[in-house]
Amino acid sequence: MRIKGGALIVGALAVALTAAGCSETTNDGGGGNSGENKTQTGSISYEAADNTGPAKAVEGATKGGTLTIMQVADLEHLDPARNYVNVASLTGSLIYRALNGYQEDGSGKMLLVGDLATNPGTDVNKDCKVWEFKLRDGLKYEDGSAITSKDVAYGIARSFAPELNEGSHYIQGWLYPGGTYNATYKGPYEGGQMPQGIETPDDKTIKFTFPEPHCDLPYAAALPVTAPVPQAKDTKANYDLKPFSSGPYKVKSYTRDNVLELDRNPNWDPNTDPIRNAYPDAFKLTFGLEAQQISERLVADAPADQAAMTWQDAPPAVLPRTTAAGVVERVVKGPTQYVWYLGINNQRITDKKVREALYYGVDRDAALKAIGGSAAGTPASTLMSPTTAGFQDYDVYNAPDTGDVNKVKEILGGTTPPPLVLAHTNTALRTAQAEAIRASLEKAGFKVTLKAIEATSYYDEIGRKNTPYDIYLHGWGSDWPTGSTIIPPQYDGREIVDEGNYNLAYFNDQSVNTEIDRIRKLPAAEQDAAWMALDKKILQDFLPEIPLYYDATYVLHGSKVGNAFLSDSYGAFQVAKVYVKP
Amino acid sequence: MVRFLTRRVLVGVATIIAISIIVFGLFFAVPSSPAKVMCGKNCDPASIAAVETKLGLREPITTQYTEFMKGIFVGRTYSKGTPFEQHCEAPCFGFSFRNNESVSAIVARTLPVTMSIVVGAAVLWLLFGVSLGMISALRRGTVFDKLAIGVSLAGASMQVFFFGLILLFAFVYFTGWLPFPSYTPLTENPAKWASGLILPWVTLGFLNSAIYARLSRAQMLETLSEDYVRTARAKGLPLRRVYTKHALRAAITPIVTIAGLDIGASLGGTFITETIFGLRGLGKETVEAVQFLNLPIVVATVLLAAVFIVVANLIVDVLYAVIDPRVRLS
Amino acid sequence: MTAPASAPKSPATSDSGPYLQVNDLRVQFPTEDGVVKAVDGVSFSVERGQTLGIVGESGSGKSVTSLTVMGLHNSKRARISGQILVGGRNVVGMSEEQTRRLRGRDMSMIFQDPLSALHPYFKVGAQIAEAYKVHHPNASKSEAKKRAVDMLGRVGIPQPARRADSYPHEFSGGMRQRAMIAMALVNDPDLLIADEPTTALDVTVQAQILDLLEDLQREFNSAIIMITHDLGVVAQVADDVLVMYGGRAVEFGSVEQVMRRPQHPYTWGLLASVPSLHGDADADLVPIKGNPPSLINLPSGCAFNPRCRYAGRNGDRSFTEVPELHQVLERGHLVACHLSEADSKKFYAEDIAPSAGVAQ
Repeated sequence: MRIKGGALIVGALAVALTAAGCSETTNDGGGGNSGENKTQTGSISYEAADNTGPAKAVEGATKGGTLTIMQVADLEHLDPARNYVNVASLTGSLIYRALNGYQEDGSGKMLLVGDLATNPGTDVNKDCKVWEFKLRDGLKYEDGSAITSKDVAYGIARSFAPELNEGSHYIQGWLYPGGTYNATYKGPYEGGQMPQGIETPDDKTIKFTFPEPHCDLPYAAALPVTAPVPQAKDTKANYDLKPFSSGPYKVKSYTRDNVLELDRNPNWDPNTDPIRNAYPDAFKLTFGLEAQQISERLVADAPADQAAMTWQDAPPAVLPRTTAAGVVERVVKGPTQYVWYLGINNQRITDKKVREALYYGVDRDAALKAIGGSAAGTPASTLMSPTTAGFQDYDVYNAPDTGDVNKVKEILGGTTPPPLVLAHTNTALRTAQAEAIRASLEKAGFKVTLKAIEATSYYDEIGRKNTPYDIYLHGWGSDWPTGSTIIPPQYDGREIVDEGNYNLAYFNDQSVNTEIDRIRKLPAAEQDAAWMALDKKILQDFLPEIPLYYDATYVLHGSKVGNAFLSDSYGAFQVAKVYVKP
Repeated sequence: MVRFLTRRVLVGVATIIAISIIVFGLFFAVPSSPAKVMCGKNCDPASIAAVETKLGLREPITTQYTEFMKGIFVGRTYSKGTPFEQHCEAPCFGFSFRNNESVSAIVARTLPVTMSIVVGAAVLWLLFGVSLGMISALRRGTVFDKLAIGVSLAGASMQVFFFGLILLFAFVYFTGWLPFPSYTPLTENPAKWASGLILPWVTLGFLNSAIYARLSRAQMLETLSEDYVRTARAKGLPLRRVYTKHALRAAITPIVTIAGLDIGASLGGTFITETIFGLRGLGKETVEAVQFLNLPIVVATVLLAAVFIVVANLIVDVLYAVIDPRVRLS
Repeated sequence: MTAPASAPKSPATSDSGPYLQVNDLRVQFPTEDGVVKAVDGVSFSVERGQTLGIVGESGSGKSVTSLTVMGLHNSKRARISGQILVGGRNVVGMSEEQTRRLRGRDMSMIFQDPLSALHPYFKVGAQIAEAYKVHHPNASKSEAKKRAVDMLGRVGIPQPARRADSYPHEFSGGMRQRAMIAMALVNDPDLLIADEPTTALDVTVQAQILDLLEDLQREFNSAIIMITHDLGVVAQVADDVLVMYGGRAVEFGSVEQVMRRPQHPYTWGLLASVPSLHGDADADLVPIKGNPPSLINLPSGCAFNPRCRYAGRNGDRSFTEVPELHQVLERGHLVACHLSEADSKKFYAEDIAPSAGVAQ
């Protein structure tokens, strides 16, 4: 599960600073540029046209200028081995290139294509076990030296170091299946030079050999961990401050918690890059402002802030001012890869009828209003987010957003449902939301008790197999926009362990487990539709838990920012094709 | 005077050592693992153990404390003998748990911000607040006096975050007359330094002015009723001289004391002002560090704040002795 | 005396009459509770070389009177009427700047507590020099300093040059008062007002200070007003005595007249409350019963009537009619009391004289 940028820090500070009243606002804040009805159509492309640079020009875009990005908190990590948070990944994509990347244009069309690689990876034996990538010609680092496949391998190798463990570990785990990814190989600093299963027969080729099939490797190869790191330039822990540039920009200065300045890497050749236009001459990320200050400044659109944007959601207190003319055009909102669920403990609520009754009893509208209305999200009817590749907007139960009390009574047919304990984190927003859900369920005839839990131990509590709670609020976001990082971790019953579960419904069905295994072995291009079908089957046949709403982001940019759209792969402003208006 | 000073310095040092022990001890009383905070989402018991070992959290607390104090004076080396060996030069307060940045560097970066805020605001409140209070005391009962009392009552009951927000909306968001506050080092560009800090200065300066105006007015009124002020007038001194030489000097003494302590305490961080205006000073750094159990930063900033207060006390004592000859006796 | 480059004093319009003449002085302070009549129609005069003692309890108006003479009341907050002629110039109604020029030069004042009356932050010599310099703007710093050292020597402070660099808190009580006197006399004033100058001092020091004042008076030929509640002090230094009660003068006369043949029951009370050095040691001290009156709301008639054993001896005049000062027995002895001379003599002889203090 990818962490949503700075969520932890924002939450903690918001609790410390925001007056209670602010978070109670239930403004629906309209917005332009709405991406609500956009459906992800993307997939993997091996077409030469898609995989060849330069990136398609943006109409009306101009080169030059400095784009400022205002953030509450500093990036967690910029080192590609440690980079796992969406906004850090977006920033990283300006500095370094991974094997693969997402080509987006803001219309909802997203293609996974080769970035350093000439295509998204060749399944050598058509069994998803051996993957080969060929690097493009003419790739250069910031000092003009050539980028080689050995540097990619070294980048992955160093991600095994326990000191650099904050990144994603998909590829590492696939290379060393069973147990902890770095139990045997601990990176190039002590022990072997290269991890097993990676070969670089020449400077242009890198080959992965996995014991098990992994058909979604092309997606995993789009994670920052496949960015090249020349061994001579590896500064270990300090690499976090100044990664060696293989992308259009390099680090000019980085003062932690204050400012990160990027300027052009003159050795980046746009003709080798099918993803990035790199219109601005420079990027400047500033850290340390409150979300409210950032939003107010962007609303005000003072000359100094006109070429600025943020990845930070506008807080409820600012929403009323974002609907004014002159501001509304600069609001971008849309779904993120997160979906929030009303989790149901299937060990305790074993009767599907009761779960169905709960589905109709929940007032999604009220649950959303409690946390900011449509700016915070839109009612959900699927398990996967609309940003997922191959998404289809189906609705099995057709429940109204505000719930359907009569339908609940019809389903229950006069039987009394068991009393329920609803767990939630003790933050202001989640408490308000839980209260709204409790109210709607009680109206439908359920007896519901609230249980507030400390935010830091919440997932530990509900992730314990013998958790005493019946229903609980929880969210999930994918690491790449396919069902493979949504369905298996959440609904594969074989994954249930004593503690630290992600399968929070504690749902285990043989037919679903078998289907998961089948889909995993399909070619990546065919998986999208299969995951979507399984999503629908799970909801229709079992209804293990209730999708509540698709998390939305609601962000502002200044009037001189051109082509600002949300990335489907990150659920945040894409920076590859943005430009500064003169 | 020398003995007086020596004693004060010794007491100060003892205070700081005591505070360092208390802060260190309190932090370990908190039932939360910094290592867990540090290793983030990919946490497993093995990585927690690794982090704990690296940070020396597995050592007994007394060892940790002596290592820490040693680091301050002679520096220390972390992860010795591993590829990630990291030397930390004296004064070493360790590395931030969050991003491994040197705490000394963090302090060196954030302290000038807080200092700039405090010094600028203090100049404002001392000049403006004290003269307002003095003048209204001399014009007791006039419209000016009543107005000054009213304004300072309003100011003293106002909150920094409220007043700061009003200023932000009035001068930045709605009118754009001023840039959003930012910090530029004085040495780099004095004009930008000042223009970026005007709002925090005015906010903190105005609210403290209110307090200092009331204080000064009360002090001045008290002094004006002193016998020696009457003596000065009986000598035939012009009123101006009576006020500026005889009354002011006595009235200002307690204000110097309070100002010294206020400034000393503020240097430890003006969290609310810094937060309102998005300035990353010592205060904001400290509060964030507390939230994230970032022990090295907390210990360093709390110690620094203690040093400021102790030094401010010392300076105030010396100033007091300079101003008031009676103090020199003891 | 070596007064260098002294600015000439403004010439007094009349050299012959009393140096200070106060006529029908009234001082009122309007407050939220009402008007405080601190001084209510007081008249007196002092000649050069003479000492007038003003006695009375606190709140009798004696200090207000002296501060008014010095022009130290804020004209905005005090309502002052009548006449105060200092060397012929009327201080009442004079501008602050004009009175300021008189203060410290033509008239100066010594206060009760020299510790609080001297500025704690400045050296004693500097404070005296400042008093000199303000009225001798052409004098140099060193001249002013030298003058201050001279004065300290004159008031009997040993090693004056060294002590001039000391701070007030480094002086003993008596030394401080000597310094205060030196400061008051640094400009050779014609009028010196001493407000309880010895009250805060040890008895032995008291006598020294009073001797000093007498010596200096002889030397400078100044007029002195000695304000005190201590009849012993009055007996020692004063030529004339003014007894005040409730803001009014109740008895006036020479020391001889007032001490030996007091006519007012209040004066009797004051005398009776002083232990006698010569009389019967076993005789009871008789304090005056009750408290001084509120100056906002004075009793009607004679302000002393609630505390007076003899009120009512003359019908209800004591309760309805304010007694005027009138001459009794001898020339210059004035009393404001409704008792007839005969009654007053009789009561004094029977009730008071046997136990009264000082003058016996």
